[in-house]
Amino acid sequence: MFIYDAIDAAMLKDRNAEFRDQVARRLSGDLTEAQFKPLRLMNGLYLQLHSYMLRVAIPYGSLNPNQLRALAQVARRWDRGYGHFTTRQNLQFHWTRLSDAPDILDHLATVGLHAIQTSGNCIRNTTSDPFAGAAADEADDARVWCEAIRQWSSFHPEFTYLPRKFKIAVTASATDRAAVRAHDIGLVLHRNAEGRLGFEVIVGGGLGRTPFIGKTIREHLPAEHLLSYLTAILRIYNLEGRRDNLYKARIKILVESLGAAAFAEKVEAEWAAMDRARIDLPDEELARIRASFGLIAYKKDPGARAAFEADKAQDRSFARFVRNNVAAHKHPDYAIVSVSLKAVGETPGDASADQMDVVAHLGETYGHGDIRVTHAQNLVLPHVPLRDVRAVYEKLSESGLATPNIDLASDIIACPGLDYCALANARAIPISQDIARRFSDPDRAEAVGELKIKISGCINACGHHHLGHIGILGVDKKGEEFFQFTLGGSGAEDAAVGQALGPAVPADKVADTVERLADAYLHLRAPGERFLDTVRRLGVGPFKAAAYADADPA
Amino acid sequence: MSTTLQALTANDLRTGEVVFRAAEGWTGRFAEAQLFSDPLDARAELDLAALETVRLADPYLIDVVVTDGFASPTSFRERIRALGPTVREDLGPQTEGGPRVEALRRSHAAARSAGRLGLIRKR
Repeated sequence: MFIYDAIDAAMLKDRNAEFRDQVARRLSGDLTEAQFKPLRLMNGLYLQLHSYMLRVAIPYGSLNPNQLRALAQVARRWDRGYGHFTTRQNLQFHWTRLSDAPDILDHLATVGLHAIQTSGNCIRNTTSDPFAGAAADEADDARVWCEAIRQWSSFHPEFTYLPRKFKIAVTASATDRAAVRAHDIGLVLHRNAEGRLGFEVIVGGGLGRTPFIGKTIREHLPAEHLLSYLTAILRIYNLEGRRDNLYKARIKILVESLGAAAFAEKVEAEWAAMDRARIDLPDEELARIRASFGLIAYKKDPGARAAFEADKAQDRSFARFVRNNVAAHKHPDYAIVSVSLKAVGETPGDASADQMDVVAHLGETYGHGDIRVTHAQNLVLPHVPLRDVRAVYEKLSESGLATPNIDLASDIIACPGLDYCALANARAIPISQDIARRFSDPDRAEAVGELKIKISGCINACGHHHLGHIGILGVDKKGEEFFQFTLGGSGAEDAAVGQALGPAVPADKVADTVERLADAYLHLRAPGERFLDTVRRLGVGPFKAAAYADADPA
Repeated sequence: MSTTLQALTANDLRTGEVVFRAAEGWTGRFAEAQLFSDPLDARAELDLAALETVRLADPYLIDVVVTDGFASPTSFRERIRALGPTVREDLGPQTEGGPRVEALRRSHAAARSAGRLGLIRKR
C-alpha cells in the first residue's frame, strides 16, 4: 500500500481546516448557498434527495484495513450504518449532515482518506484494475502509475477549472477490468516488441447522453513520458473544449468534432514543444512510489494446491464460490478473492459498517492488508494464500458477502437512482433486486454464465448501462418509470456501446424481459458462446422478437 | 375527485433533511405541509423561504394532489422525498409509519400501476 507522506498529510490538514471554516461561514449566513455550493462540491459534498451525500475518494480503488475500518466508523457514528461503493471505485455516504462534514473529513484524514477529486470540473480520482499488482497477465503494477497521476493531478493549478470533469483509468493487463475505453483518457500499460514499458493512450471515451468508445491516439507512449503527454492532452482540451454547452463540454465531443487524427496531431505538436523534463516524473520519484507499495514476500506452500482442490471436491458450495469469485494470482500459491456486494435482495454496492469491518479484518488477517474496490461495485482481496481461501470464504459467508455470482446475471451494476439521487428519473436499485431474484438459483445463474447487466436511473449513465451486455436505462414517461434496453455493450477489452432493443417497458416488466433475453440466449447460443457473443453474432433481432413476443399488437 | 394544490419544500441547511412549509414554521412530515390553492400565495411563501438562507437550502414548490382526503405530491420523485428510499423503509420520514405514510405509499403504488401495463407494443 502507498502511504501518504508528510506533504500529503499537511495538504489534507490545510484543506480540511479551510472547509471547516467555509462550513461555519455558511451556517452563520456569511456565505450564501450560491457562494458555498461550489466549495462544498469541491469537498465531495452533494445535496441529494433526502440529505447531503459525501463522496469519499478511494484512489485507484485501493484501501488498507484501517481505511476501511475508518469508513465503517463514519457509517456508524455519523451516517446510517452503511456506505455505497460506486462505479468510480469511490464510496458514498447518503445521510451526511452538513454540520458533521468537517468532523467526518478530519476523521478520514487520520487514515489518509479524503473527498478531493470527487467533484468539480477537475481531473477526478483515477480508477484502475482492482487486480493490479496481483494479476497474472499484467505488464506492470498499474497502481504505481495511478499514484503518479494522483500526485500530479491533485489541485493541479492549470487543470482545476476544465470545461468539464475529467476521468482517467489505467490498466496494465490485456483483460480490461477498469473500463478504460469508456473514460476521457484510458491508459493500457504494456511492453512493446523491445520489452519497453509504454502506454496505449486512448482518448475521448465516455458515456452519458452521447456515448463513445475512446480512440487510440498513441499505440506506445514510453512510460516515463506519461505526465507530459497527459499534460499535452489536457492542455488541448482545456483550450479547445467547449464551455458554452454543458452537454458538449467533455473531451469526447472535442475528439469527435476534430477527428481523432487531428486531435492527436495537436497533442503531439503541444507535446513536442513543451519542456517535458519539467513535467515528467523523475526516475527517483517513480522508484520511491514503486518502493512504497512494498513488495509482498510471497511464501511458497507446496501442499496448498492439493488441500484447496480437496476442499473443492468435498464442498460443492465452496467449489461454486471458487469457480465464480476466485481468480488466478500471479503467484501459484495465492488467489484473488472477489467479495460480492450483490447478495440477492440487497442494494448493489452497499456494505454495512459490520461488513466493512469483516472485510477489513480478512484483508488484515489473510490478505496482506490490501483491499480493492471494483468498478462493478464489489470488493476484492487481491493476495489471499490459497490455503486460506476456504477460511476467507467461510467468514464471508457468515456476513452475507460470499454470493458466488461475480459477472453472472445477479452481479448487477446499479446507480443509486431515484431512491437517492437528485438527478435520477427512475429507480435503479429495485429493478436490480427484481432481476437478481430471478437468477437467485445459482445453477440457473451459472447455466446462463457471464451476463453483465448494468442499470442507470438517468442518461448520465453512472450505472454504465451503455456498456451492459444488457443495459437498462430508466426514463420518466408522464410521471411513471419506464426502462429502455440496450444489448451488446461491453466495458471490457472488447468495448462497445450497446444497441437499442425496442420500446421501453414499465418497471414491473423489466425482470420478465431480462428472463426472456436470457432464455433466448440459451436457445440460440453456439457452443462456448457468452450472451454477449451470441448477441454480436446474431444481432438484436432475435432477442427483440423474444423480448416483445407477448406484447400487444400496435 | 382530485384537486391540484401546491406545497413548499426545501432541505434543511444544517442536516440536509427534507422539510415542508407548515402552517407555522417547517416540518419533516409531508402530512403537516401547508397546501396552497392559490399559486400567488405559494409564490409569496417561496419568496419568503428564499430569504431564510441560514435555515434552508434549495426551496421550491411542488404540485400536490388530494385524493380521497389524502394529499400526496404529484411527482414520483417528490413522493420518494416525502417518504425516504423505497428500498430502505427503515430510513427517512417513512419510519414514523401510520395512516398518512401508508396513504403516501399507496398513492405511489397507484401511480405505478395505472392500467398502463399493455404499453409494450411491437413496432
